[in-house]
Amino acid sequence: MLIELSIQISAITALGGGILGFLLAYSVTVGGLPKSLRPILMTFSGVASNFAGVPLAFAFVATIGRQGFITHILRDYLGVDVYSAGFNLYSFAGLSLVYMYFQFPLMVLIMAPALDGLKREWREAAENLGASSTQYWLKVALPVLLPSILGAMILLFGNAFGAYATAYALTGGRIGIVTIQIGAQIRGDVLYNPGLGYAMAVGMVIIMAISLAGYSWLQAKTERWLR
Amino acid sequence: MSYLSLSNVTKQFGDTTVVDNFNLEIAKGEFVSFLGPSGCGKTTTLRMVAGFETPSSGNILLNGVDITHNAPNQRNVGMIFQSYALFPNMTVAQNIGFGLKVRKEADDVVKQRVSEMISLIHLEAHANKYPYQLSGGQQQRVSLARALAIRPQVLLLDEPLSALDAKIRVSLRSEIRSIQKTLGITAIFVTHDQEEALSISDRVVVMNAGEIEQVGTPFEIYNFPKTRFVANFVGSLNTAKAEILDPASGLLNMEGIQLQTDDGTKNRKKGDTVTFAIRPERFSFVSEGKKENVVEGRVVNITFLGSVVRIQLQIGKTNFNMDTFNRPSLELPKIGDSCQVSCSKKAVLILED
Repeated sequence: MLIELSIQISAITALGGGILGFLLAYSVTVGGLPKSLRPILMTFSGVASNFAGVPLAFAFVATIGRQGFITHILRDYLGVDVYSAGFNLYSFAGLSLVYMYFQFPLMVLIMAPALDGLKREWREAAENLGASSTQYWLKVALPVLLPSILGAMILLFGNAFGAYATAYALTGGRIGIVTIQIGAQIRGDVLYNPGLGYAMAVGMVIIMAISLAGYSWLQAKTERWLR
Repeated sequence: MSYLSLSNVTKQFGDTTVVDNFNLEIAKGEFVSFLGPSGCGKTTTLRMVAGFETPSSGNILLNGVDITHNAPNQRNVGMIFQSYALFPNMTVAQNIGFGLKVRKEADDVVKQRVSEMISLIHLEAHANKYPYQLSGGQQQRVSLARALAIRPQVLLLDEPLSALDAKIRVSLRSEIRSIQKTLGITAIFVTHDQEEALSISDRVVVMNAGEIEQVGTPFEIYNFPKTRFVANFVGSLNTAKAEILDPASGLLNMEGIQLQTDDGTKNRKKGDTVTFAIRPERFSFVSEGKKENVVEGRVVNITFLGSVVRIQLQIGKTNFNMDTFNRPSLELPKIGDSCQVSCSKKAVLILED
């Protein structure tokens, strides 16, 4: 059950962050956005992908928490009370949103070089042979990128799966993802069963190892193609 | 009637004119090379024919149809890239069949054409391999087969041999020419390698700074260069300035040395200064042959180039290279010796600047 919750939040944020990150990376590499935006996005991604833990949780609490700055502006000036509408930063959805903040920049950082690796000649060769833009993307570009995309998503999954401080600082342990449970079992405020904590940690190691093995296999496949 | 026609084609990128008023008619089945240094506009011209660049002005007609503004995928023009541009996620057979698949050809047609093309490039044993499993030469042959599989009206080759080593380059260029002749396909070949252009083409278009310098057969381009640029770019060449002494007989004066030419002095005046050129291999020792244009020179340097020996001579104040075939019986002068050399009147070419 605990594992399930961790897998759920990791999968959802890997998928959401992956899609958002891919679209942003696409926009600044081959998507035709002004080139001047690329260094801005890459710098932001470099910082944001490492901005996790207690500072990130506090930043979200201060902005879209119950008494957050943006929450106040929305409520007092625009008449939109997001909390009355059902949003709750301290819930599963809120935690997913916070995770997304460091997930999508990681995807941008991984996918931008992969998108740069798409050779202009492939598109031109495809067009020259009669392919439309859609056919080029479906038959050439996406299959070439797929190992990178899947590999990056696995990495995002692992990234979220191992997160601890962000979730703990934000929810105070109310959402029982594995890392928080391991902390509780080992630290022993109320619960104290180090053996169970270690067992859960081994389970995590196995899942992370599977993720990394998948990532490595997919990366190797891409590198072999692009040699 | 020409099959492919480029009329007044100009391409500008911002304020820079990359191709300027380019006019060329290519007959069906002809193999034409665009030859010139980097940045002369040859690849841009090729890309305009392919549809990857749109001319700023001018028209491109293919078999009487104006294709100037057609998208690349509506032109039925095959292209081969310097970097092969094979799709890395597809096998050799899938790469070759790609163009037919996207054109929604029936499966049996695709299968048969792919099989024909693989036989044509002699890669039957590699049909199921991926590009990374092939050598550069094999990849470029697959690229050729892929371009030919769609039965294009024109085949465009953008420096297809530049990334290959010397031996493969020579064998593959013969193979390309042979396949082109067999299929009777019209081809444009872009290169900066003069030997490649001269050896493979029906006609060569020498380009410089976005303009055509000269169009002609390889024989004409090499033996009768029209401009100083062509003369310098194609083969090695001695150039010097001379004064016209007699326009009617073609008598020239170079630093007090008299030379005769039968090339292009009739429309000039006595006293005009012209640039003339002589190919190194057109000189010979006086004892070896004809005695036209006999001049005395001092040997400055001797270089062995394998089948040829290059002798650098100072004639007047100017250094000239002379090439002679290397053979065991060759008696070479020593550095510092004086010797008499000659060349025919036809060997002295007057260049337009």
